Amino acid sequence: MASTGLSSSNSSSSSYDLSFKILLIGDSGVGKSSLLVTFISNSVEDLSPTIGVDFKIKLLTVGGKKLKLTIWDTAGQERFRTLTSSYYRGAQGIVLVYDVTRRETFTDLSDIWAKEVELYSTNQDCVKMLVGNKVDKESERVVSKEEGMTLAEELGSLFLECSARTRENVEQCFEELALKIMEVPSLLEEGSAVGKRNILKQKQVHHTSGGGCCS
Amino acid sequence: MLKGKKLLKFPQKSHHSSPNGLGSLVAGFDAHGDGGEDENGVVYKELESGEELETFEPFGLGSHGDVDDHQNEGTSYVKSDAGFSEIRAPPKHKVDVEAIDADDKRSDLDYELSQKEINLDKLQRIASSGIPDGGGLRATIWKLLLGYLPPSRDMWEKELRENRLKYARLKEEFLVSPLHCRQSEFSRRKDEAAEGIDQQANAHAAEPLERQEISNEDHPLSLGKASVWHKYFEFAEISEQIDRDLERTHPTIKFFSGDSAISRKSKANVEADSFSCFVRLISDSVDHFCEQMDNSSVGIRSTLLRLSELLKASDEELWRHLELTNKVNPQFYAFRWITLLLTQEFNFRTILRIWDSLLSNPHGIQDMLLRVCCAMLLCVKTRLLRGDFVDNLKLLQHYPEINIDCILQVAQDITPDTSSFHASL
Repeated sequence: MASTGLSSSNSSSSSYDLSFKILLIGDSGVGKSSLLVTFISNSVEDLSPTIGVDFKIKLLTVGGKKLKLTIWDTAGQERFRTLTSSYYRGAQGIVLVYDVTRRETFTDLSDIWAKEVELYSTNQDCVKMLVGNKVDKESERVVSKEEGMTLAEELGSLFLECSARTRENVEQCFEELALKIMEVPSLLEEGSAVGKRNILKQKQVHHTSGGGCCS
Repeated sequence: MLKGKKLLKFPQKSHHSSPNGLGSLVAGFDAHGDGGEDENGVVYKELESGEELETFEPFGLGSHGDVDDHQNEGTSYVKSDAGFSEIRAPPKHKVDVEAIDADDKRSDLDYELSQKEINLDKLQRIASSGIPDGGGLRATIWKLLLGYLPPSRDMWEKELRENRLKYARLKEEFLVSPLHCRQSEFSRRKDEAAEGIDQQANAHAAEPLERQEISNEDHPLSLGKASVWHKYFEFAEISEQIDRDLERTHPTIKFFSGDSAISRKSKANVEADSFSCFVRLISDSVDHFCEQMDNSSVGIRSTLLRLSELLKASDEELWRHLELTNKVNPQFYAFRWITLLLTQEFNFRTILRIWDSLLSNPHGIQDMLLRVCCAMLLCVKTRLLRGDFVDNLKLLQHYPEINIDCILQVAQDITPDTSSFHASL
């Protein structure tokens, strides 16, 4: 049974101590995918709207621990909301993104997205991070930093303003989130369970190595 | 990354290779297609040479629905071809059409298109193995396959004209501010009044924003859902969203940026024709886009389930691995495959080839689409069986470049009730 997963020695399964699932949500066009692409790679590009869900892996070291972040980048368009409930399952961190130059994306966070989190999130202790994106367009800004901070307080979430375009604060956003998750015992527990399995898996792979991975 | 590849290109400039100037009639608009004032003086002059075609019924979008038209679609054109001369002997049955090289295929297609009554069966059969690029051939054939152009060539011009008119009316209905409607309503009443029909109205008509209108229940700040203003703002918002998405999806396409050499008139015609083709394209899957239908038998969830069943019937081992062992929910990858007709999964050339097959399938676009999706899974079976959840989701969300003809062949060979199907790759 377990044999199927073992030979996947490629890509994702380099060693790590902890594994966390992170979800990105927020209105269409606020820059969720751009934040993620900026975080994962160095490119800054215009991206098409996300359809359904996109899925990315990032390995990084935070607080001396090797982390594997599985990041689910969801579609912001209203159409997809009824389909997204399954994406929330088991997420240890949720990033709520708005665009500082479009107020409705900010108000929708409290009117719509925060409620979705409450409804679908299966982790009581799940850590939230509020992110105001596109601060590079300072002249077009309509949502102030203070307003953002106030909402973050209401939601009981962390808060950062950033720019996917200039990369400002993008790494901090995911690192702070990860650090905070590691401070929550129940989440740390979940994350390290996967980590241990992974280490075990690595060992087994060594034992059974030679098994043809040809491609 | 894949996303960058799907930039739409418009059909190449028309060539003269097609019979009777057909190519330039139906090719995508060409840069000089400057509406009406066109050279040549050929029959099709008033069609603004090089523009797209035809009529449609905006069913499902409001009051103009003409359901019959659509139910008959695809069958109504399958006419007897008794009168068809077979001098050129275009490929019959499922001959190995792949063997015919592009030139032969082109002349076969040109020949079919030159008929007064085009035989759609034959067209489907030839097109299913891929339409040669260039000469506007694909542009014409897709329209015929979609039923947007009728098989009778004599009707093209008339239907084209009518359709564009219809589209203009539709746009007006949905996108023109109620204030404008009101004003034109006033001017109409004014005209009537001038003829002595309604003296009362005449008194009001002088002043478009008079008291009576403003105090009316329905005004721009009305919160009622039935308010025409509410509707108008809703539509305007959707329209803005589309503009925003177009801009970020196709930033390099001149057509969308407005500053191109394409004349306004020909742009409007292309818009009308594209819209009509699009409506037909998604006519058998509109329910995928309605949230209310998500849990119905015609909604997206059911379609995803059908794909899953097709895979199970074709290759139970692979199905078991993906869905039971990996717990990869088909929704995570196939939602995009299905709703976008695979346009985000492949490069533009490949997409065209896939669509040739989708559009020429006698059992409909969706039938072929599910087969292709299933074939895509079968063709990477070895890798999928090796992978875990993460590997496989990554693989399926970024589908590798595989010879598309192989995938399509596998798709063609899938029969839903065959349980012992094996991918030949």
